[in-house]
Amino acid sequence: MENIYRPDLIEVVGIRQETPDVKSVRARFVEAASAARFSFQVGQFGIFSAFGQGESTFNICSSSNWKDRIEFCFRRVGKVTEALWQIDEGDVIGFRGPYGNSYPMKAWEGRNLIFLGGGIAMPPIRCAIWYALENRERYGDITIVYGARTVADLVFVDELDQWATYDRVRVIRCVDPGGETPDWKGEIGFVPTVFDRANVPAENAVALVIGPPVMIKFTLPILDRMGLAPGDVYTSLENRMKCGLGKCGRCNAGPVYVCKEGPVFTLEQLKALPLDY
Amino acid sequence: MSDLISGAALRRLVDEWIGQGKRVAGPVLVKPDLPSYVYLAGGDRFLLDGFVRPVNSIKEFVFPRHEPICAYRFEGKQVRIADADAQIGDQIVIAARPCDAAALPILDHVFNWDCADEFYNRRRRATTVVTLACSTHDEACFCTSVGLGPAATRGSDAMLLDLGGGEYEVRVLTEKGRDAFAGKTITSDRIASEAPGPGKRFEAARVRRYVGEHFDGPIWARTTLACLGCGACAYSCPTCHCFDIVDEGNLNGGARVKNWDSCQFVTFTLHASGHNPRSAQPQRQRQRIFHKFRVYPDKFGDLLCTGCGSCGRNCAAGLGVLNVLEAIERDDGEHLQA
Repeated sequence: MENIYRPDLIEVVGIRQETPDVKSVRARFVEAASAARFSFQVGQFGIFSAFGQGESTFNICSSSNWKDRIEFCFRRVGKVTEALWQIDEGDVIGFRGPYGNSYPMKAWEGRNLIFLGGGIAMPPIRCAIWYALENRERYGDITIVYGARTVADLVFVDELDQWATYDRVRVIRCVDPGGETPDWKGEIGFVPTVFDRANVPAENAVALVIGPPVMIKFTLPILDRMGLAPGDVYTSLENRMKCGLGKCGRCNAGPVYVCKEGPVFTLEQLKALPLDY
Repeated sequence: MSDLISGAALRRLVDEWIGQGKRVAGPVLVKPDLPSYVYLAGGDRFLLDGFVRPVNSIKEFVFPRHEPICAYRFEGKQVRIADADAQIGDQIVIAARPCDAAALPILDHVFNWDCADEFYNRRRRATTVVTLACSTHDEACFCTSVGLGPAATRGSDAMLLDLGGGEYEVRVLTEKGRDAFAGKTITSDRIASEAPGPGKRFEAARVRRYVGEHFDGPIWARTTLACLGCGACAYSCPTCHCFDIVDEGNLNGGARVKNWDSCQFVTFTLHASGHNPRSAQPQRQRQRIFHKFRVYPDKFGDLLCTGCGSCGRNCAAGLGVLNVLEAIERDDGEHLQA
């Protein structure tokens, strides 16, 4: 009997503690057949499990060009993430996916890309950034604005430095006022304010904005003022999910199932939805 | 001409099915005034009259409230997983209400669009549904408002209609129904009359439009503020199908299981961040109506409601979808005459 809920086993091959309460994990399929079958597109998500504790939904934050691994990133906040926090290299966890739609990387070719992220929202942007950098000639200027509450809350900080070395890539780091350290060299301010100050050209641009609701709320009017059309502003919704397959009935935002029709939406699509996310 | 079976012969037939190794479920008075669908030990106790609707629905025979989806076992750092492949034998539900049977084709959509949930499908395939047409209804019933009725055949493999005098007309509707009654009926010229259903209480198309236009309207708080969030409406509903996936076990291993869940629970949509898109009970009640009369119809061209009235009958706060739907009727236009 085909079992759509049965997870594949993946072995943890790398763990990095990003912040005091965030870790990123690299894993490989235990079964060769599962590895051979697997492919995904950046923006899709997986359902990861710590056996005995249950499943949680995370974006697959590696680039889809990296064929031999899956990476995800989580904050230690609940039962499953507490169990995942305790895993070591060599431990086996569960994975189902990939699920959901993806960023339209093909449609974005030839465009300037603006990535705006806050806090733990960097992982679902990181996969698109790496994908764009690995196909650098297909995309125009790339601007990355990433902020967190404090310096200690920034994730993938060494990669921010790597991204900045690429041609026509501008990386702007920021922390909330009061969150800086004495040797902090980035900007001080909230992501929308810092982005507004940066005078990023809007011409031929698409933006991917992911972060806490308050960041999104204040960023969208700026993009609008810059002249970006709602169809060129993208985000990824993160409604609570269980099955990922459009059956368990939990993730809908109005008439739309985020696990099937999302998680990636344009602002134009979101404007047509009731505020149910 | 019609096919006829006596109540006594029907009870013997149930014994025969059980003797063949089939599981048979039917309505039984589990307490005074509390009919409930349960698996039967024999044909003697199930109800053929004297009840409007059991407290539960027959969905639990195809979509159990607790179902293992795989087993896991820890071996050092390794984990072994195995499919939970319990044998599913044939089963028959006898004397199901038409509003219960009609729910099964509705559930088929959700468990099979895009990808197939074989946990559901294998039970569905193994199940024969024999309905008992309604001869009475109560104040909570509203099947006629959702396109069904006391003798609606949707989802039934065979239907029994009371002829009086302890005899029943058998209307065979599918191959499964034919197999269940083959050689067990006698030919008769008596045709059962179908009882009148409850008066029409609302217009489903109007509800569909209204909920789309009044997502943030005051009607939700006005009609559902008394909701206790207990989930009895969803658990007794034949079409509610939301579920949770959790691990249940010990240090050696355990099972990953699907458990029934309800959109009425505060944790249903609670994000890890603490944000909850539906943080107030009326928002959760709105979701229930919105899912049944807007989301599901948009997706599958069908209502996610059979008008059974269980949500109203089982609500400790005296709510249920009907009170909201009638409020929409009053809000939106002329009230339909019952």
